[in-house]
Amino acid sequence: MSTDTLPRPPTERGPRLGLIMRHLVLIAVATLFLLPLVWMVTTSLRQAGQPLPRSIDWIPQPIAWGNYPKVFDLIDFARFAANSLLVALSAVPLTVVTASWAGFALSQISQRWRLRLTVLSFATLMVPLAAVWLPRFILIKEVGLIDHRAALVVPALMGTSPFYVMLFLWTFVRVPGEVYEAARLDGAGAFRIWAGIALPLARPTTVAVAVLTFVYYWSSFNEPLFYIQSTSKMTLPLGLHALLQLDRTNWPILMAGAVMVTAPVVVLFIVAQRALSQEYRGGGWFGR
Amino acid sequence: MASPTTRWLPRLRLSYRAQLALMLAPFLLGLLIFTVLPALAGLPLAFTDYNALEPPVFNGLANFSELLRDEVFHKSLGNSLIFIALATPLRLVGALGLALLLARRGRGIGAYRAAVYLPTVVPDFAWAIVWLWILNPIYGPFNQFLALFGLPGPAWMVQETSARIAIVIMLSWQIGEGLVVCLAALRDVPRELYEQVAIDGGSAWRTFWGVVLPAIAPVLLVFLFRDTIHSLQANFVASLIVGRGGGPNYATTFLPLYIYTNAFSYLRFGYAAAMTLTLYAITAAVLYLQYRVVVRWRLGFRDVD
Repeated sequence: MSTDTLPRPPTERGPRLGLIMRHLVLIAVATLFLLPLVWMVTTSLRQAGQPLPRSIDWIPQPIAWGNYPKVFDLIDFARFAANSLLVALSAVPLTVVTASWAGFALSQISQRWRLRLTVLSFATLMVPLAAVWLPRFILIKEVGLIDHRAALVVPALMGTSPFYVMLFLWTFVRVPGEVYEAARLDGAGAFRIWAGIALPLARPTTVAVAVLTFVYYWSSFNEPLFYIQSTSKMTLPLGLHALLQLDRTNWPILMAGAVMVTAPVVVLFIVAQRALSQEYRGGGWFGR
Repeated sequence: MASPTTRWLPRLRLSYRAQLALMLAPFLLGLLIFTVLPALAGLPLAFTDYNALEPPVFNGLANFSELLRDEVFHKSLGNSLIFIALATPLRLVGALGLALLLARRGRGIGAYRAAVYLPTVVPDFAWAIVWLWILNPIYGPFNQFLALFGLPGPAWMVQETSARIAIVIMLSWQIGEGLVVCLAALRDVPRELYEQVAIDGGSAWRTFWGVVLPAIAPVLLVFLFRDTIHSLQANFVASLIVGRGGGPNYATTFLPLYIYTNAFSYLRFGYAAAMTLTLYAITAAVLYLQYRVVVRWRLGFRDVD
C-alpha cells in the first residue's frame, strides 16, 4: 500500500533543491496553523496586570507560571475538570458499545437493508444541528434531565454520531464472511461474535472512535450551556465562560485557562495519532 | 475464539436476526428520538406561541408574519448567507490545497499533517477566547504580526465588514476534517489514471484539472454539503464570544445565535422554531445551488450511473 498519490512533477532543479523547497513550504504552512496555539501559550505566561506590549513578545519576560494556579483560585477549575472527565469517560464506553453494535449488525444484514439504513444515517447527518436544539431541549426537559450531568451523556446511548457507526461498519465489512461463519456453525450468537471476534479485529477503529468521542464530550459547549444551570455541575467550557465573565481583559489568565482545557485534547490526539499511524501503516490518515 | 469472558452473554436463545435487531435498536431508536423526531417537531412548533413552561398555544401564521417584519432576523439571515458564501469555498479550497501538499509521503509528513489538524481539535470555546485575544485591534498578535510587515490591521470586531471576515478567518483554521476527507479521496484515485497522463506528457496542472479533480469531485461535493450544514452552526460560539453576542450592530448575529437568543433568553420557542424552518429552507436551497453548479461544471459523475 502506498500513500504516494501524486507523481513528482518534472523539475529542472535538482531533486535536493526541490526537496528543500518542499519542506520550506510545509514548515511555513505548519507554522501558520500552529501560530494561534503558540500565541495562546506565550500569552498565558505573561505577567498578569502588566501593561500589554505593543509588539509581539515571543518569549515573555519574566515567564509567569503563576497564572496557572491563579485560574484555580478564580474558578473551581478542579470541579469543572472532574465534571468534564465524568461526562467524557461515561460517554466513551457507551458510544463504543452502541456504535460498534450498530456497525456490526449493519455489516451482517442484507445488502438492501444495509444500503437503506446507511442512506438514512447520512440523511440525519444533513440535519442542521441548530434546528434540533429546541426540540431536544424540550425533550430533555420533559424527561426531567435539566441540570443533570446525565443529560450531556444521552447522545452516547445512540453511538453519539452516525459517523462513528459508519466507521465501524466500514471496518466490519472488510472482514471476510468466513471468519464469522465458523463461529456461527459452532452456535455462537451475534453478541458473542461481536465481543469475541469482531471488536478485537477493529481495534484501530475502536481507538479512533474512543478518542473522537472523548474530544467531542470534553469540548462540547452548547449542550452544557443549554442543559446545565448549577455551578457545581458545570463542565470545563462553561468554566472558561465563567472565567471570561469575571474579567474580559485579563488575557494571561484567560489564556492559561484555555491552555489547560486544550492541552489534554492535544496530548490525546498526538498519542492516538501515533498509535493509529502504526496500526494503519501506509494506509492511515496521519501515517507516513 | 469464544473467549471465557464472553460466556455470560447470550443465555436466552434468540435467533441470530433477533440479536442483530437488538444490536441495532439503540442506534436506530436514538436516531429516531434524538434527531428525526426533533427535526420534524420544529414544524408544528413554528405555528405556536410556546415558552416551554405552559403548553403551546396555536397562533397560526403570527410567527411568520413577525419574521417578515423582524429586521434583526433579516440581518442574521443575510449574515448566515454571506458566511456560507465566504467560508465554505475557502474551507474547501484550503482543505484540498493542503491535501495536495500533504498527500505525498516523505520524511516528517505525519508531523506536518498533525500540525495542520491540531487547531481542529481545540475545543470551540477555548478557540473562541484565543481569537478574542488574537483579534484585539491594538494588542492582539494578528495586527502586531501585520505591523511587522508595515501593514495596518483593521479594527476587527469594531466594524461590521471586518467583524464578519474575522469570524470566517478564525473558522478557516479548523479544516482538519476536510483535510482528512481530501487526503482519503486523493489516495483512492487509481494510479493508472496518473500513468495515462504521464504517457500523454501532461503537466502537473493538467493532471490535476483533467484527472484528479474529476475523480474526487463526488467526494468533494458530499464534503461541501456537509461543510455547508456544519458552517450554519459552527459560528455559534464565535458570534457569542468573539462577536460579544453578535455585534457590532448585529453584524455577527448569525441564525443559530438569533435562534438561541429567542429561545433561551426570551423563551420564545415558537418564534425560534419558525426561524429553524427558514434554516431548513436556506440549507436546502444552498445545497441545491451547489449541486447545480457542480453538475454544470460536469466534474466527475462518470462513475455514478
